[in-house]
Amino acid sequence: MSEQNGMSCGEFGSVAAELALGVLTGRERAQAVAHLDECDTCREHVRQLSLTGEEMLGLLPSREPPEGFESRVMARLGVTEPAADQSPALSSTKSEKSPQRWSRRMLTMAAVALAVVACGLGGWALRGVTGSTSGGTGSTAAAPLREATLTSATHETEGQVYLYEGSPRWLYMGIDTHDTSDKTVICQLETRGGKLITIGSFQLEGGYGAWGSPDPVAATDVTGARITAEDGTVLATASFTSH
Amino acid sequence: MAAPELSIGPRTRGGQARETRARDKKPEKTAIPWTGSPVSDSVQRMGIPADRLPDETLLAGLGAGDPELSLAFVRRFQRVVFGVAVTVLGDPTTAEDVAQQTFERAWRHAQVYDTRRGSVRAWLSTIAHNLAVDVLRARTSAPVDPQDLPALLTAMTDTPERFAVAHDSAAGLRRALGALPAGQARAVAMAGIYGMTARQIAEAEGIPLGTAKTRIRDGMEKLRTAYLREDVGDE
Repeated sequence: MSEQNGMSCGEFGSVAAELALGVLTGRERAQAVAHLDECDTCREHVRQLSLTGEEMLGLLPSREPPEGFESRVMARLGVTEPAADQSPALSSTKSEKSPQRWSRRMLTMAAVALAVVACGLGGWALRGVTGSTSGGTGSTAAAPLREATLTSATHETEGQVYLYEGSPRWLYMGIDTHDTSDKTVICQLETRGGKLITIGSFQLEGGYGAWGSPDPVAATDVTGARITAEDGTVLATASFTSH
Repeated sequence: MAAPELSIGPRTRGGQARETRARDKKPEKTAIPWTGSPVSDSVQRMGIPADRLPDETLLAGLGAGDPELSLAFVRRFQRVVFGVAVTVLGDPTTAEDVAQQTFERAWRHAQVYDTRRGSVRAWLSTIAHNLAVDVLRARTSAPVDPQDLPALLTAMTDTPERFAVAHDSAAGLRRALGALPAGQARAVAMAGIYGMTARQIAEAEGIPLGTAKTRIRDGMEKLRTAYLREDVGDE
């Protein structure tokens, strides 16, 4: 707490939101900024408010820009657009105008899994792993990433499993079941000898969840994965193709 | 003294001056030189289509001047960036200019983007917002017609499937915004989206200045609480 430069923490609190949103002006702003120099608590408070304000911008509706926008941006940056046949996959981004729930989430899962590869796995804060770039992109990128689709007993696609065999090894899975209830599910790996190893459990919210584990088991022995309910009911299975 | 923050637009909020814009200048990169592995090399080794790569990888590609990844980056975020700009400005022509400047700034500062401080989407949105508010403040007309606010707030608190999928982490904030008393929600939107001061809000709403300040404070505190709850839940 601090009461320097004529503004107490209480007084600062009454204008912190305005400061965080960049709409505080004049003497109040000068006093508030001066107070921040002296008070860690208020600095953290206003940082949180700033992040909240930034997050609020994410709620604004997206809008399609005018035709040719991307070309004008590329020209402005002086970056040569790739020829159309050099990036066929890019055209599929147009489908994001009306994405399917499952496919969008699977893309996110794939992105997270790939980020784990690209970033060198600096820890196991899975949901934050896309936020780490400290590991660089070089040494682990070429290591094999095995991927398998989780399917239900009725052959409906329910998710995706990624098994990374580099160092360190890791497993990541995302599931988005047609049953949209909240529940705890259990992840098991199946080995070449037919043994089932329970790796852990995680929570599905609205039928959706993503989960990962470091170094689950010698990856070369893994032939498949499955998700079960807590009562053992198998919800989805996946089979990795052999090397 | 506060810990130093990035010197670019979105990181200057919370008491620090906004970066002076260099409009209409040929872009010159002043950021830290790219020293990592060529992004496209890694991508090709992995055999991954560009549109499936993480946001941070595309941003790295943009910073490195990789044509394919740059295009993928622009395509991924152009609707978000233009959406912010046109919401704030209302004028598509000016909004496009702001959106183009946003990508230019992202390109220039790609190497100093700090992933620990937020998502690429939030970073870009804030750049676009800061640029748009700067333009707005240069205008003499009222930043927003109060009649337009209900539609905007409805759009921001709407929870159709596409939003739930595209930006799950914002769900708590969206709910909190939707639960705010109307006066607080309007004040938060006027200040947070249109960059209006408490005095401007008081005049637009016909309320005392103190009431406007209280609405901003109370509304933002509720949103902060919701944001922190969601953020903790994500860890």
